[in-house]
Amino acid sequence: MPSDLSSLVHWILFLPLGAAALSALFLRRAGGLAAWLSTGTAFAIAGLSLNLLSKGVDVTWHVELAKFGGISLGFGYLIDANARLMLFVVSFVAAWIHLFSVGYMKEDTARGRFFAGLSIFMFSILGIVVADNLLMTFIFWELVGFSSYMLIAHYFDKDYAAAASKKAFIVNRIGDLGFILGIAMCLSLYGTLDFVALKDHAAAAKTIPVAVGALLMCGFLGKSAQFPLHVWLTDAMAGPTPVSALIHAATMVAAGVYFMARVSFLLAPDVLQFIAVSGAGMAALAGLCALAQTDIKKSLAYSTLAHLGIMGCAIGLGHPALALMHMAMHAFFKATLFLGAGSVIHGCHHEQDMLKMGGLLKKMPLTAVTFIAATLSNCAVPFLAGWYSKDAIIEAAYHDGRFVIFAFLALAALATCLYSGRMIRLVFLGEANSEEAAHAHESPWTMTLPLVVLGLVYSVAGGFLASTLLPAGSLQPIKPALDAIAFHLNAPSTIVGLFSLVVGFFGALKFYGVVRGADALQVVSPRTYHLLEHRWMDGLYRWYVDSVQRRASEFVAFLDLLIINGVAVRWIGGGVPAVLGYLTGRSFHRGQTRAYALWIVVGTLFLAWFLIAR
Amino acid sequence: MPDGLFIFFAALTLGAALLLVVSRNAVTSAMGMILALVGVAAEFFLLDAYFLGVLQVLVYAGAVMVLFLFIIMLLDTEDATGAYPWKTAALGLATFFLLAASVLWLFHWSGAVSAVKAGSTPPELSVNPAEFTTAAKSFGRLLYTKYLLPLEIAGFLLLVALVGVVSLSKDNPETKA
Amino acid sequence: MENTSLAHHLILAGLLFVLGLTGVLVRRNLLVVYMCLELMLAAATLALVAFSRFNRTMDGAVLVFFVITVAAAEVAVGLALIVALFRKRGTVQSDALTTLRD
Repeated sequence: MPSDLSSLVHWILFLPLGAAALSALFLRRAGGLAAWLSTGTAFAIAGLSLNLLSKGVDVTWHVELAKFGGISLGFGYLIDANARLMLFVVSFVAAWIHLFSVGYMKEDTARGRFFAGLSIFMFSILGIVVADNLLMTFIFWELVGFSSYMLIAHYFDKDYAAAASKKAFIVNRIGDLGFILGIAMCLSLYGTLDFVALKDHAAAAKTIPVAVGALLMCGFLGKSAQFPLHVWLTDAMAGPTPVSALIHAATMVAAGVYFMARVSFLLAPDVLQFIAVSGAGMAALAGLCALAQTDIKKSLAYSTLAHLGIMGCAIGLGHPALALMHMAMHAFFKATLFLGAGSVIHGCHHEQDMLKMGGLLKKMPLTAVTFIAATLSNCAVPFLAGWYSKDAIIEAAYHDGRFVIFAFLALAALATCLYSGRMIRLVFLGEANSEEAAHAHESPWTMTLPLVVLGLVYSVAGGFLASTLLPAGSLQPIKPALDAIAFHLNAPSTIVGLFSLVVGFFGALKFYGVVRGADALQVVSPRTYHLLEHRWMDGLYRWYVDSVQRRASEFVAFLDLLIINGVAVRWIGGGVPAVLGYLTGRSFHRGQTRAYALWIVVGTLFLAWFLIAR
Repeated sequence: MPDGLFIFFAALTLGAALLLVVSRNAVTSAMGMILALVGVAAEFFLLDAYFLGVLQVLVYAGAVMVLFLFIIMLLDTEDATGAYPWKTAALGLATFFLLAASVLWLFHWSGAVSAVKAGSTPPELSVNPAEFTTAAKSFGRLLYTKYLLPLEIAGFLLLVALVGVVSLSKDNPETKA
Repeated sequence: MENTSLAHHLILAGLLFVLGLTGVLVRRNLLVVYMCLELMLAAATLALVAFSRFNRTMDGAVLVFFVITVAAAEVAVGLALIVALFRKRGTVQSDALTTLRD
């Protein structure tokens, strides 16, 4: 019954909005209640999404909101296999992160605001997932940007958090400018914004203009933190850790990948080529950069960048289904990693520096075991979740004969193993390197339960689920490819994976055990470390804004002063009031209410005379 | 020559209005305003609009002006002092005579109004007109039939004004200078 | 009554309106300015009643009813605004309120 299912989608979409409204309006001071309301809602959505997934039926529902000539703007749902998978991943991961937040944010005074923010984020991201047209996608896209901004700035009294939220918002604006231009171009070329209609148009047309795909891609570059708009993601770690896990690792940044998969029929080959190369390049670079971060969350953020690069690469290679599958797997294990990091930070009394940790395996066993399991999945250890999707992408690159991309991806795989080993070594093994780490304690059940569920069930059994449960429609097209790599250990990707695992992971474990209280790479080769640590793109942007943009704006301001102010306003616009002001004995613009009233009277009389004389 | 009562009340209204405009004391101005509104109400009576006349006295001259007086007392603003603002007065006088002349021209000398025959409604205004009566009952009938939606909106407007006034007059520490 | 015409009432309404308008233009005390605005409104209602009476229709009179209602609401909000302004700036003289200039 389609009508029943569309009401199910109504519930999924509008439950979090209701929860957010309740929390924001009435529960600002009752943080505990808001927390449980928001968490309960998230679990309800997860249940509904699972229900929808298990039904495996497409849902379409549409209502027209406005019609301008031949252009119809509407609100509707288009739930296909991808949307069902995405709905389930988002809501399931989000539910456990909500539960984690209940424990993590216990001592926060602004819990009402925080959970209202999480709920409004849920509403926005689910809106993107179910949207059936570009305009609705764009509206929810902006809502996601807003909620991300709000949650990064949760500790708004800290300067770095305020600055990071602004940076995230502004960088996303740059991408969204391209996005909205792309939407306008679709409208002018095809006269519709509906995904299904657009697909028909794209299928009918022989070639798709490069500009359409390139402009739509800009939104993806911003939201999914792709090169060159990736700079905001690492700063966004200023937000609370559950926010980093939910928004900046598992779901929001993946929304860009999902969107690209949804409009993949509009992407011209040149656009795909760009996405593939830049994605692969960024995957390798970001993985290496993660080696030069001492903040555990920033290191994970670079890891996220690397994985986003891999997903982008899969889109660019023309395998959106693979990208979505990696998105799903990555959501599970990266959420676990971030939550584990949150648990570690919580246990170490808000210490984020990895060099000051150590020996936490004994102090926080549950956190450590789940974190290590997720890390292994991150490193694509065979038969763990990350292996299925990541190696499938690497294999696809090899299979398609894109050897440059294959090489970059192989480097990314090696880098992944390196920073993963480093992280494990610094945080969990060895001896405690500070007072905080020595007195670390295991977190409460609300934090460990999500870790156990997400970490063990999905990081380990994710692969099993990938090949059995999820393909009920969603991954069917790539099933042969999956089978091919899963059971042929001599495939190139498997060889690369195993090699980097052994060399990278265990090498890192050994290498970083040499020096205590400092980074081994920094000690051995300070120049390499600096090369990786330095934020080149930020420097480039600063140079651009300082030297190019400011100069240009000063020039334009000068022209404005000269032509608009000097000639147009002073002579023409300034002349008339000056004469009248002279006549009435007062200057025109003195802020006097009575003078304004007088001019209103004069205008009215003029109008009356005009009407009567007519 | 018009009716004597009309002349009397017109003079009363205009004189009171003049008092309102020229008085340098706010309370005297308010008294002038009350008198002017009562004068207008009397003109309503002369025009057979008895219900509106009563309403004018009750709502305007009564409730609204009491509110004005209340606020004048509450704020206790100083009277205008210092030299009489001759320049402003002259400007005001000039404005008044200019505008008054245009009013007289429009309604009297141009002959536009007297050219219209009494009872002849312009065609665009004659859509379903309500018959003129003097009974207050006919107001009620119209308000709940033809003008039901405006009535609802007016009621809602009063509610909004109520809420707005409460929120405006709340003693917010930020608004203190 | 038989001797007065529509023009008489309109002239009275017009003069009342012009008086109020002059007050709005020349007075500095915001409270007085506000009373003058109300006077202008009363003049407009007088014209409406006159039209209604001489056109033998009820609609103008009903409109006056609404004008009185709206004016009551408007006075309440306006006075609250003036009070808030007085609290913030300590004056109700319009000369002192020139922030709009900047």
